[in-house]
Amino acid sequence: MNLSNSSISEINKLYKSKELKPSEVYEEVFTNASLSESIIHAHLKLFQEEGIEASKLSDERFAEGKQLSDLDGIPIAIKDNINLKNHETTCSSKILSNYVSPYDATVITKLRNSGVVFTGKTNLDEFAMGSSTENSAFGPTKNPWNPEHVPGGSSGGSAAVVSVGSALASLGSDTGGSIRQPASFCGVVGFKPTYGTVSRYGLVAFASSLDQIGPITNSVEDAKIIFNSIKGHDPLDATSIQDTSIEIPEDKTAKVGVIKELMEDGISDESKNEVEKTIKLLEEQGNKVVEVSLPLTKMALSIYYLIAPAECSANLSRLDGVRYGSRESGETSYEMIENTRAEGFGEEVKKRILLGTYALSAGYYDAYYGQALKARSLITKDFDNIFQEVDYLISPTTPTPAFKFGEKTENPLEMYMSDLCTIPANLAGLPAISIPTGLSNQNMPLSIQLMSPARTDSSLLKFSEKLEKLVAFNQRTPLLKDMK
Amino acid sequence: MKKDIDIKSVAKLAAINLSEHEEKKLEKDLNIILEHVEALSKMDIDDEEISIHPLGEILNLREDISSEFLTHDEAMSNSPETEDGHFVVPPSLD
Repeated sequence: MNLSNSSISEINKLYKSKELKPSEVYEEVFTNASLSESIIHAHLKLFQEEGIEASKLSDERFAEGKQLSDLDGIPIAIKDNINLKNHETTCSSKILSNYVSPYDATVITKLRNSGVVFTGKTNLDEFAMGSSTENSAFGPTKNPWNPEHVPGGSSGGSAAVVSVGSALASLGSDTGGSIRQPASFCGVVGFKPTYGTVSRYGLVAFASSLDQIGPITNSVEDAKIIFNSIKGHDPLDATSIQDTSIEIPEDKTAKVGVIKELMEDGISDESKNEVEKTIKLLEEQGNKVVEVSLPLTKMALSIYYLIAPAECSANLSRLDGVRYGSRESGETSYEMIENTRAEGFGEEVKKRILLGTYALSAGYYDAYYGQALKARSLITKDFDNIFQEVDYLISPTTPTPAFKFGEKTENPLEMYMSDLCTIPANLAGLPAISIPTGLSNQNMPLSIQLMSPARTDSSLLKFSEKLEKLVAFNQRTPLLKDMK
Repeated sequence: MKKDIDIKSVAKLAAINLSEHEEKKLEKDLNIILEHVEALSKMDIDDEEISIHPLGEILNLREDISSEFLTHDEAMSNSPETEDGHFVVPPSLD
C-alpha cells in the first residue's frame, strides 16, 4: 500500500484499527519530500522535528482511543501566505523573507484542534500573483509530472506536494484560479469554496473580495473532509458568511450546463475533449446535459485585471518597512518606503500594484474600477439566471495542460489567459472544483471544472464524488517510482 | 478613455522607486493590459449596481469588546526598528 496516495478516510480507519500509526505515515511523506524536493522545490520550509513530535502525540491519542477528529495524524502542507504561529510567512517575497507570524490563521487553529500534522510551508507566486510559480522570489516549483513544465500557480507548491506524496493534502488560496489551475496541472483535486464560507483571517490578503482558502487533495472525498473541518463563520473576518447551505440535486436527476464560451477559441482540443468525454459519461448515467451561454465570460479577464490589482494595491500598501517586513535605508520616511518597496517586491507584484494604483487614481476610478465592479454584478446576475436552468456548470479547468517554463513570461496577457476558465467563479463568489480526468499526448494531466450556485458547496462535492468515480482517473506522477 | 500611462507619476503614487529598465518594461506591459481592458469601458452599464461582497452580503463587524490577543511585544516583534515600544522611522521631513 502506498500510504501517501491513500485517502484520508482509509488512513483514519487504519489508525483506529491500530494497523498503522500517524508517525509511520509522517515518515513516509517526509521521505517523499526528501527525495523530491531537490527536483521540484515545492516546500519553502519543512517542519521535520515539529512533524515528528506532532505525529507521535497523535500516535498516543490513537493508542488511548482519544482521536480528535478524522483528520487527526493526517500530514497537511500549508501555502506560505497563510499564517502559522512562530513560523515564517514569506508569501514567496523578499519583503517578508524574515516575517515570523505571531498568530495562527483561523483555518490553522481549526486544523490544529483537529490533530493535523503540519508538514511545512509551500511555494507560491509572490503574494499569490501568478499562474506558474515563476514569480516566486525563492525560485519556481517544478511540475512533478515533468520538471520542464510549470506546476501552475499561484498555489503551485501546494499542488505539487500532494501530487508527489510529500503531504496527504494541502491548503491553497484561490483569487482567480490559484487552487484549481495548479491542481489541474499536477493531476490532483482542487476545491475553491463559496466566497466567505472559509475564514480569510490570517491569510495574507491579495484581493479581498476574491480571495478564498480551500483544499488541494488526492480525491474529492478528502477535499470534503478538509472543507468540513475549516469552514464556518468567523467573527474575525467581516466577509465571512453564516452557514446557510443550500441543497441541489446530487444524482442523475441533476442538470448540467456546458459553457459554450469556454469550449471555443482559445481552448485547446485536448482540454475540450476531456469535457466532452465527461459529458458522455454523465449522459450515460442519465444526467441531462445542455449547452448554455454566458457571453460575459469573455469579459471576465478584463474585469478581474482591474478589480484584483486595485484591491492588491490597497492591501499591499501596508508593506512599508515600518511595522514588519524588510527595510531599506532612506533619508526620509518616504524615501525609505519607496526604496523598501523597490527592493522588496518582484516585477509582477510591482506591475499589479501600479495597475491598481492607476485604476484607482483620480480621473480613472469610475472608468476603470467602477466600471469593472458594475460588470462584475452583471456576471453574477448571468450566473443566477443560468442556475435557474441547470444545477451545475462544466468546463475545462484550464485552456491547455501545463506549459513549459518561460513559455508565457514575455507577454503578460498570455499568462493571464491560463486563468480564463477559473476567474468567473471568483468574480461571482461561486464554489468550483477541478477534477483530474486524463492525460495529454505529452503525458501531462488534464481536468474538468464544475461550478454550482453560491452556498451549494456540499452538493457540489457530493456530485463531484460521483463524477470522479465515473471518470475513474487513477494515474500518478512517475517521479518517485524510479527513485525508491 | 485609454491614455498611455504616465509610469513615473503612478510609481510615485504607489511609493515604489523604479529603475529606468523597470520603467520601460512595466510601461510596455501596463499599456498592453490597459489596451485589453479597454473593451470594458465601452459597455453600457451605467445603471448597474455595485456590490463589494460577491454574494451581496452586508459586512458585519464584531462587537466592540476587548479580548486577549497579541501582546504589545508580539505585535512589535516583526518591526525592523523599535525603541521603548514604539516604531522608529527616518524623519518625515527633508
